[in-house]
Amino acid sequence: MTRMIPLLAVAAVALCVALVIVVISVMTGFLDMVRASGQTLMGDVSVVFYIRGIPDYDRLITSIESRPEAAAATPVVDTWGLLRMPYPDGDAKESQQVQIWGIDPASFSTVTGFEDTLHWDGVPDNTADDMRWDLLRTASGPLVKGMSVEQKATLLRLSAQEELKGAGDEQVHALVATVSDADLQNRLHLLAFDLPKLLQVLDEDDVATLEAMEPRLWNPELVVSDGVSLTRNGEPAMVSGLHVSKANQRTHTGEYEVLADGHWWMPRFSGTLTTLPIDSRGGLLEPESIILPFANEFASGVYLIDQTRVMVPIETVQRLTHLDAAETVDPIDPTRVIGSKPARATMVLVRAADGVDPLTLRAAVRDAYRDFEKESESLGRIVPRLDRDHGLGIKTWEEQNAAFIGPVEKERELMRTLFSIVYLVCGALIVAIFWAIVYEKTRDIGILRSVGASRMGIVHIFLLYGLSVGVLGALGGVGLGWLITTNMEGIHEAMSAPPLWLGVALLVASLGVIIWTLANLSNGRLLPRLMGLLGAAVLGLAGVAELIVRDAGGFVLWDPAVYYFTDIPDAVDWGSAWVTAGGAVLVSVLAAAIPAARAADIDPVGALRYE
Amino acid sequence: MNSVLLEARDLHKTYRLGRVDVPVLRGCSLQARRGEFLAVLGSSGSGKSTLLHVMGGLDRPDAGGGAGGGEVLHDGRALSTLSSRALDRYRARTVGFVFQFYHLLPELSVLENAMLPGLVPGGLGKAAARARAATLLDQFGLGHRLGHRPRELSGGERQRTAIARAMVNDPEVLLADEPTGNLDEHTGEDILGLLSEAHAGGLTIVMVTHDQRIADRADRAVRLVDGRLDTA
Repeated sequence: MTRMIPLLAVAAVALCVALVIVVISVMTGFLDMVRASGQTLMGDVSVVFYIRGIPDYDRLITSIESRPEAAAATPVVDTWGLLRMPYPDGDAKESQQVQIWGIDPASFSTVTGFEDTLHWDGVPDNTADDMRWDLLRTASGPLVKGMSVEQKATLLRLSAQEELKGAGDEQVHALVATVSDADLQNRLHLLAFDLPKLLQVLDEDDVATLEAMEPRLWNPELVVSDGVSLTRNGEPAMVSGLHVSKANQRTHTGEYEVLADGHWWMPRFSGTLTTLPIDSRGGLLEPESIILPFANEFASGVYLIDQTRVMVPIETVQRLTHLDAAETVDPIDPTRVIGSKPARATMVLVRAADGVDPLTLRAAVRDAYRDFEKESESLGRIVPRLDRDHGLGIKTWEEQNAAFIGPVEKERELMRTLFSIVYLVCGALIVAIFWAIVYEKTRDIGILRSVGASRMGIVHIFLLYGLSVGVLGALGGVGLGWLITTNMEGIHEAMSAPPLWLGVALLVASLGVIIWTLANLSNGRLLPRLMGLLGAAVLGLAGVAELIVRDAGGFVLWDPAVYYFTDIPDAVDWGSAWVTAGGAVLVSVLAAAIPAARAADIDPVGALRYE
Repeated sequence: MNSVLLEARDLHKTYRLGRVDVPVLRGCSLQARRGEFLAVLGSSGSGKSTLLHVMGGLDRPDAGGGAGGGEVLHDGRALSTLSSRALDRYRARTVGFVFQFYHLLPELSVLENAMLPGLVPGGLGKAAARARAATLLDQFGLGHRLGHRPRELSGGERQRTAIARAMVNDPEVLLADEPTGNLDEHTGEDILGLLSEAHAGGLTIVMVTHDQRIADRADRAVRLVDGRLDTA
C-alpha cells in the first residue's frame, strides 16, 4: 500500500496534465484550422466591393502586381445562387443553395493553390465501370456493325459459357454467322465490367471511337486539367466543393466513396445554376440560369467552404450577375447607345511575395489601389474610392475572418481557464495523499530527527518527494496527452464504430475477475473481495456500455457538419503542453509543502515512543 | 578538556496527559564522564527514556531555562544556548541513539540504514558514511547482510544495525534505551558485548535499563526513582 500511494499521486497528476494537454491541443488545433481556413482559397489580402463590383479590375491587378510585396492577384465575382443537382433519377431533382465564385482559373490557382485542392485525379474504378456501361449502351450498335468475323468470334469466345471452350476456330466462325447483331451487342455491352476482355475484342479504331466519346476514361489526367481550367470537352464547366454533392460519402478510413456504386460521380453530370442579379440601384432583376457540367470537385478541408462553394469561370458568373461588360443605352430611346460599362469583379485576391506578412502587403495593396484611383481619374473612369465608398475594403485574411476567428480564440482561453481548475483538484489530491504518507511515516520522521535531520531537512524531503511526483506525473501526462492527441482520429473512429471484440473482451475479463475473486479470496477479508467485485463491475459495465453504443451505431463526437472541419486536430500544442506540465510540477511542490510543514512539526519523541 | 562529557543538572520534565500534568523528571541530575559506561536503572515509567531524550537533545526540559526546567550541558556548554541548527548538529555528531525497538527504516537496506546519519547536514557525507557503515557492519558480523531489508533480519541483527547507525558519525556518546529489552537473553548478551567493545574503544555510553544484571555490565549504575536519581 505504501508503494501504491505515491503511484496514485503520480497517476493523478499525469491524468490531470494529460486532460489539459488534450483539451488545449485540440482547441489550439481547431483555432489553427479556423485561421488556416480563413486563408484557404482566399489569398493573403483581398480587395472587396460586394454587389456592385470593381470595374476595370485588370488595371487594378496590374497596379497591385507591380508592387514587389505582391506575388500575384486574381479577380473573383462572388454571389449566391441555387444549384440544381443531377440526382435523384427522375424529374424531382434536389437543389442546393451555393456560394458561386466566378474565378479566372489560371491566376486563381497561382494566388490560392486551388489546383492542390482538386479531389479527383481520375475516374474512380467503380464509376469507370458504370461509365463504360453507359458508353457501350450507345456505342455497341455501331461497334458490332463494324466488327470483323475474327472480332465477333473473339467476342463469342469471351462471352460464351463453357460450351465454346474446346471449340475450334472453324466451329466458332460458323457459329458467328448464326448469331444476331442484337445478341452480339448484348454480349459486348456485358463486357463493360471486364476491361481486359473488352480490349481483346475491340480494335484500335473502336478504342479511338470510344475514347473520343469519353476521353477521361482513357486519360485520367484530363480530370485534373479539366478541373484546373474549369472546362469539360472545351466548354465552360464548374468545380464544386466535395460536400456540395450528397453523393460523396466519407468512410471511416477518411476516404470518400461515391454513392450507388460510383454512379453519382459528379464530374459525369451537369447541374443548373440559378442566380438573382441585382441592378445598380439594388433592385431585383429576372433570375438567370445556366446549365454547366461538373469538371471536378475540390476539398479544401473546411467543411463550410466544401459544402457551399462552386467555382465557375468568371465570365459566366459576370453574365449571371450582370457584372459583365455591357453597353449602356438611353433610357428614353433604348436603341441609342450612350456608353459602355466595363466588366466588374467583387473581389481581388492577392498573394504575398515570399517573406512578406499580410499587414505589409495590405499597405502595399492600399497604395496600389490609390494609384489605380488616380489612373482611373485621368482616364475618366469611375471606380469606387477608398475615402468615399465604405463598402470598399482592403483586408488581410485575418481581418476578413475576424468575426469567425475571434470567438474561437475566446473559447480556447475560456477552456484554458476552466481546465486550470483541474490544477486545484490535482493539488488537493496531493495534499490528501501526502498527508496520509506523513501520518504513515511519523515514526520514520522521528528516526530521521533523532539522527540529526533538521526540521527544514524533513520539509526538504517532502518537497523533493512532491517535486518527483510532479515531474514524473507531468512527464507521464505529457506522454499520455501526446498519445491521446496524436491518436485522436483513431480513437474517434473507434468510438464511432466500436469493435465487437472489445465489448466481448471486457465482459470476459469481468467474468474472469469475478471467478478469480470468488476462488482466491475465501479468507474472509473484505477489502480484496470488494476490490475484485468492483473491478468486475467496472469492466462489465464498460463492456455492456460498449455493446450498447455499438448497437446504436457508435458515437460521432466530431460531426463535420457541426465543426466546419473534416479532420480532428491531432497535433500537440507543445508550448501549452510544457506550460501545463510546469504548472503541474509547481502545484505538486506547493501542495506537498502543506503536509511537509506538518511533518516538520512532528514531535520526534512522540513519534518514537511506541512501537 | 572537561572530564565530564555530558551533564544533566536538576532536570524537570512534565508531560500533559489529557487534563492532568504528569511530572516525569523532578530535579534529576547526572554526570557522565568521558569514556564512562554509565547505566541508569529504573522501573517502567520512572522517566529513564525521557532523561535520555532530553540529554540527547531530542526533547527539551520544561520551560524556564536553568532555574525552572534544569539544564543539559555538553562539555560544559548548555544545550539550551544552542541554535536549532547547532542542536541538529549535536544530535548528528555528538550523540548516537540506540532504541529498544531498533527503529530502522523499513524501505532502506541494512547499509542504507546504517549510513543514514552520515547523510544529514553535518554528517560525514555520503561516500565516507558508506565506507564507515560498511566497516562497522562488517565488524558487527553483518558484512553479508548489507543489501537486506530490516524485515529479513533477526532482532539481534536489527539491533546491531541500529548500533552501527548510532556510531556511523563517530559520536562522543552513545545513548542506549533498553537496547536488549526486546531480545532474548542470549542475543541481548551479544549486544551488550558489542557495546562493551565500543566502550573499550573509547566510546562514552549512557544506557538505561530496568534490569539490574544488565546494569551490572556498566562501569557505574545509578537508579532513577520517581524522576530523581538515587546513587545505587
